[in-house]
Amino acid sequence: TVISSDGPIPGANVILKGTKNGAATNFDGEFTLNNVPSNGVLVISFLGYKTKEVSVNNQKTINISLDLDTAALDEVVVIGYGTQRKESVTGSVASIKGEALLEVPSPNISQSLQGRVSGVEFAQSSTKPGASMQIRVRGTRSLNASNDPLIVLDGIPFAGSITDLNPTDIKSVDILKDASATAIYGSRGANGVILVTTNKGSKGQEAKINYTSYFGVKNIFAKYPMMNGEEFTKLRTEANIYQTPGLDEEVGVNTDWQDLLFGTATVTSHDIGISGGGEKSNYNFGLGYYKDESVLPGQDYERISLRASIDQEIGDHLKVGFTTNNSYAVNNGNSLGIYGTLNSTPIANPYNADGSLKRVVQMPLDTQWVYTRASIEALGDSYIDQTKNFGSYNSIYGVLQIPGIEGLSYRLNLGLNYRQSNGGYYQGEGVFSDNPTTKSSASISNSQTTSWTIENILSYDRTFAEKHSFNALALYSSEENSYNRSRVTATDIPADSFQFYNLGRANDQPIVDPSQQWYTVSGLQSVMGRLMYSYDNRYMLSASYRTDGSSRLAPGHKWVSYPAISVGWNIHNESFMENISLINSLKIRAGYGTTSNQSIDPYSTLGRLGTTPYNFGDTYTTGFSVSELPNPNLGWEKSTTMNYGLDFSMLNNRLSGTVDYYATKTTDLLFRVGLPQTSGVSSYMANIGESENKGLEFALNGVLIDNPDGFTWEAGLNVYTNRNKLTKLASGLDRDESNWWFVGQPIDVIYDYKAVGLWNQDDPQYQYLNTFEPGGNEGMVKVEYTGDYNSDGSPVRAIGPADRQIMSMQADFQGGFNTRLAYKGIDFSIVGAFKSGGLLIATPYGANGYLNILTGRRGNIDVDYWTPDNTDAKFPKPGGIGGDQPKYLNSLSYFDASYVKIRTITLGYNFDQSKWFKNTGIDRLRLYVTAQNPFVFFSPYKKQSGMDPETNSFANENSAVTFGQNDQRKRLLTIGTNTPTTTNYVIGLNITF
Amino acid sequence: CSDILEEQPRSIYTPEYFKTEKGVLGGLTALYAHTRNFYGSGYYLAGVQSGTDESTWGQNVNNDAKNADFSGVGNLSSQNNPYAGIWGVFPNINTASGIIENAEAVGTISDALVAEARFFRAFDYFLLVQTFGGVPLDLGAGALKFNTSTVRTSVRNTVPEVYTQAIFPDLIKAVADLPNENTRATGTVNKTVARLYLSQAYLTYAWWLQNPNNVPTYPATPRTDPDGHDANWYFQQAYNIAVDGIDMRPSSIGLLDYFYDVNEGSNDRNKEMLLYADHTEGSDLYNGAPVTGWGSGSSPGNFAGWLATWNYTEIRSSATAGGSYNISSVGREATQPHGRPWTGFTPTHQTIKNTFADKINDSRYDGTFTTVYRGNWLRGTSTVTTLYNANNLPVQMEDPMLTFIDTDNPAVVYPSGAGSSGVGAGVLPGRADWIVTPTGISRLMYPGLWKLGPYRTDNGNTLGQANVTYTRPFPIAKFSELYFIAAEAAVKGATPQSGKSARELINVIRARAGKWYYDNNGKAAKVQDNSADMVAATPASITIDYILDERTREYYGEGKRWYDLARTQTWHIRSASYTICGTSKGDHTPVTVNRTIPLTAYLRPIPQSQFDRMEGTDADIAAYQNPGYN
Repeated sequence: TVISSDGPIPGANVILKGTKNGAATNFDGEFTLNNVPSNGVLVISFLGYKTKEVSVNNQKTINISLDLDTAALDEVVVIGYGTQRKESVTGSVASIKGEALLEVPSPNISQSLQGRVSGVEFAQSSTKPGASMQIRVRGTRSLNASNDPLIVLDGIPFAGSITDLNPTDIKSVDILKDASATAIYGSRGANGVILVTTNKGSKGQEAKINYTSYFGVKNIFAKYPMMNGEEFTKLRTEANIYQTPGLDEEVGVNTDWQDLLFGTATVTSHDIGISGGGEKSNYNFGLGYYKDESVLPGQDYERISLRASIDQEIGDHLKVGFTTNNSYAVNNGNSLGIYGTLNSTPIANPYNADGSLKRVVQMPLDTQWVYTRASIEALGDSYIDQTKNFGSYNSIYGVLQIPGIEGLSYRLNLGLNYRQSNGGYYQGEGVFSDNPTTKSSASISNSQTTSWTIENILSYDRTFAEKHSFNALALYSSEENSYNRSRVTATDIPADSFQFYNLGRANDQPIVDPSQQWYTVSGLQSVMGRLMYSYDNRYMLSASYRTDGSSRLAPGHKWVSYPAISVGWNIHNESFMENISLINSLKIRAGYGTTSNQSIDPYSTLGRLGTTPYNFGDTYTTGFSVSELPNPNLGWEKSTTMNYGLDFSMLNNRLSGTVDYYATKTTDLLFRVGLPQTSGVSSYMANIGESENKGLEFALNGVLIDNPDGFTWEAGLNVYTNRNKLTKLASGLDRDESNWWFVGQPIDVIYDYKAVGLWNQDDPQYQYLNTFEPGGNEGMVKVEYTGDYNSDGSPVRAIGPADRQIMSMQADFQGGFNTRLAYKGIDFSIVGAFKSGGLLIATPYGANGYLNILTGRRGNIDVDYWTPDNTDAKFPKPGGIGGDQPKYLNSLSYFDASYVKIRTITLGYNFDQSKWFKNTGIDRLRLYVTAQNPFVFFSPYKKQSGMDPETNSFANENSAVTFGQNDQRKRLLTIGTNTPTTTNYVIGLNITF
Repeated sequence: CSDILEEQPRSIYTPEYFKTEKGVLGGLTALYAHTRNFYGSGYYLAGVQSGTDESTWGQNVNNDAKNADFSGVGNLSSQNNPYAGIWGVFPNINTASGIIENAEAVGTISDALVAEARFFRAFDYFLLVQTFGGVPLDLGAGALKFNTSTVRTSVRNTVPEVYTQAIFPDLIKAVADLPNENTRATGTVNKTVARLYLSQAYLTYAWWLQNPNNVPTYPATPRTDPDGHDANWYFQQAYNIAVDGIDMRPSSIGLLDYFYDVNEGSNDRNKEMLLYADHTEGSDLYNGAPVTGWGSGSSPGNFAGWLATWNYTEIRSSATAGGSYNISSVGREATQPHGRPWTGFTPTHQTIKNTFADKINDSRYDGTFTTVYRGNWLRGTSTVTTLYNANNLPVQMEDPMLTFIDTDNPAVVYPSGAGSSGVGAGVLPGRADWIVTPTGISRLMYPGLWKLGPYRTDNGNTLGQANVTYTRPFPIAKFSELYFIAAEAAVKGATPQSGKSARELINVIRARAGKWYYDNNGKAAKVQDNSADMVAATPASITIDYILDERTREYYGEGKRWYDLARTQTWHIRSASYTICGTSKGDHTPVTVNRTIPLTAYLRPIPQSQFDRMEGTDADIAAYQNPGYN
């Protein structure tokens, strides 16, 4: 009889070792095996339990008790270059399973991970279909270098886009957060490492077909709160600047431009997979299709993905395998914006008298192309914006168990990645232009990324005397990445039918802008060693050392080393804990390590000539000047992290959790030192800054009610906080105002005037308005003055640059929660995320968005503005100082970023609970409905605008006046005029047979 | 395979390339290109025009124009600083020094090419010293040396050091080495333009030494010349070099026969235009800004003209006699009288009425301003052939829709508010065009700056690309300036050559101004030679004030004015008040506005970005800024 702690095990495999003689246990766990020699050894195995070997020793009846294989029960954690039992992990690693990811139907895993992992912030940087999110593991630390984590797919550094990976194909995501865990990635580990593992089949598993599908409808979460015709007319009267309506405007008209543009969109996903395995092999094939439409016409994202993985054992010592992940994605209409819609005045009538749509509407100063669903759909061949991406990510491995030395194996990994992106754009004559004869224009851009990785790994894994477990690893690897991009633009394409497919047909000479052609090749060679030792499952030690040589650094500085060490103590395995049954596991961990950021772009140490195109009459030439000085001493930023952690589970494992505290110090921060103009050179790159991140992470999972036949209620919560601070800039520099960087402040701050109200006559300081604000007017924004006062109470100077203040954008804490209620086959779950504190920049309310001009020139966002009868308004007097950019209006575009957001609510039913269902041949059938983004609570921004408080743009996008491409403030995330957030209702099906 | 650790860039230039012959030539191109950063910038032009006796701020509140107006509507600071572009020339000075040094190392670069670099180094220092006072000659590697070190400190030299160590030696060498005619490429510099700048620098320095109105300098320094000369010596040098410039010019350089032709778009890059920031309609890339679509108002695009253009597109006509006035008869058009309207700065009543008092003989009023706005609706979307305009009179395409008449006329009746014209313009009995009198010119509605208007060859029968930056070269220096420089030097005491007294020199300019072959605003041939009348009207005794008036007539709106007033130390006197009507439609009530221009304003504020990046004690940094700005 085969039993476990839960009772008999039916279906377990019993085999006589070294033979094919075997049997399976029956429903009561019993088995019968004939022809068993008295000295034979039985091998008993069952999925989820540790395989056991039992000597027969002449016994006729053998009772075998199998132990739960905790490693198999979701307890294996993928770490760099291997896996580890969760119990033994000494670094800070957060894991999330594929099934959990699928709770949030998303185009890619960045969306499904949002709010699920403490310490990892997923911030929305675009709301366009197919966009991925900005990922920050334990905050930002770099100024000029990337803060993006390293992604490793099936063991190979991932050179593609996370959007190429189909979430359905993913088995697990493991995020290495602290340096003791990431140091084995050396020069790329500083921003955390995300290990993505895709599905594989299982050995000895019958072929299973799994089909999952969902379909959803999407509607905008909220419209931009624009003024209607009546409100707008009143505004224009108050501002009294544009007294004459534009030619297409008429008081009394009330056009809701957003209604004319936004529509209902759909999202569709189909995935079919086959997996199985033979005695010595397993395989998994998958085919996926995903399509996400936008609420804007013609804007969508479509992806076909194909994957396969095969593992095969050859003989007793050799195993080879191969995994391929391929995707082909098409993005359409990404250039469509909504500013043209929002800035059209509501009193402009888009229709001609005969009911047809006008091409343009004329407002007092502006002529706006009519942006509606109908006008965009009518463009036909005269508009296309399409990007096609093809990515193929492949890894091949071979493992050789070295005969004669138990536990020693050699593994060769070969990674081959290829990604190609082809973009094409065409707009016909006059399209989107107020002028019907604006020349047509087209562009093509093509880029290609190739990368290869070879890793030679020697590993030794053995336990001595049952208590001393060793795992030693030595690695030698090389890799090379190359990237090449070209872009050509042309104007005056003779016929719409050419679109961008033949720029040679253009009447004007096509332009190949040299700044848009890129070529980079970079290589990395590494040697790494790691030792993991555990004594009696009580004391664990892990130490690693990696040396990386990089092409990006100057000769003589190419090689850098990264040490790390971490220790753990499983307290519950100590004898003194034996009697404490309340606690099932308790581990404390500490780790220390150094990593860096492969943060220098290739060729950075060589300096650069800037180029300036110029024409001498009709002769076109290019000018050169030194824009960046060479710096042969340039090195990488180094981050050193101390991490302390506690993992526990208690109450029969019904409550488990993790607490981590970390402190990361980043030194040699790569800083583009802006030189004063008088030096004659604009900047140079140097390693001079320092920053630190300290944080606390907390994750708790509980099974609140556990009744297998009745109610089950599970809940999870994660909360984390990160305190980021710049501790040093260039010598003698404690502020870099142009980039908004200040020593002692977080990297992400707003540096601007602080609004304290509006100037009103009853203000005692009003008598000095003209001293505070020369040329100022009643009802203008009043900002805090930080200067001195004369004895009569008048200010000694006007309000000016010295009054700008540093305002941290950093959240107090943030996190996520999920809960699941199940009763028999029905389950109900909620996934949410929250954030408390911090600042949010909403450009439509500020001066840079041009949607709050408050003069009546263009469509205006609906705000409470100052009038003589409404002096305690929030927004200033229409038509006041500042013109198109009302003075200090940006100070009113900063909002408290707090929110609680329900990301999904799902109600599902699993058919496999009922007996009759089992006869259909279907193993599993699940139907569910999900509401995505249904609710947002506690958001001051939503209270003001009704809109989603999550960011949707970088600060160089989606507002009329943006921070330029060379401005580091472009890194800030803002709410701009991007495709609106949607609320989705999804119905889905998972079936396995 | 350690090859993978070696780098070979294939899409960028490294600084090594700058040491090759082609790299050095490319460096020269960059020097020409940098002039686009301010010559053509609308913010710069608004900031340098407003506050002078020529112009003031316009209705579509441009902060740069208001801040520069010194009339209590704003203030200049290190932050609100339209002159920051001028401070940004240091990298170009450095490039010039690099060219001079690398050319020597390369060995195959001609002196004539090196002289172009010297010209621009002096050109930039001259701009700096006029705008900010003394500026550093040592960028980090020694005085006038190519700097590749990462120095974040800076020490300002004094005004005489900048002139005598940098500007004069470079320009003298440039005059010697530059070719007589620019055969290298269109628009490159030659001896004549170097003489123009050298004479102007001598003149400006002479005034500085003399300091008649006690305008402070900074960093403080005695008004003595390190080379031991006095103001008179420099006035004489200015005269001599300017006259050389006139006398020794090649035939490919000189005055055009007609003033109208100087700024006429199809005639760009003419023999009178010595230096310009070039643009092209043929290429987005080489133009530095898009040539079609919607241009953004930023450098290196040429959008200066936008600020000088009022919103004429609000002019209304009617489709039927007695119908409602709801047709825009003058659309935004990419032609010289029109362009994109940003309503940023406006001529004052004094400029229109007094300075350009003679609008009949003198062709320059007609060749400077757009005073007649003509119907262009059929090139837009409208298809109605006849519209009805003022007094319900029928008008056709190309008929005047609105006219700024030359003299006040009490018969003009203005509406209150926008009126039928849509812009608050008046009517005169019997006239189909809307009328604005000189006294009715306001911050909202004023004659456009025809000179700087757009010109394109691809309009076809449409309004053309009216929203992109202009594809014309922006004028920097004209041959005619040599006459003014010599005349001014003569007035200040330089001994004139025979036949080249101040009056004689000015009369060359005035005689030319009297010649007409075309009535620009009248759009008709007008063959007239009023030279004799013009010369006759020249006063017997030429004064500085007269030269300054004459300069406005010749160069109104080109951004030269503030420098002329600052040089002659007459800014705070001549610009102390002006008259203009308000910002509302229908407001035709002239208001006289007083300006308070402190003497410290003769030096502009150094931009904040310099201080943000500079290393030093707070006191050092505070002392670096010009007095009067904090």
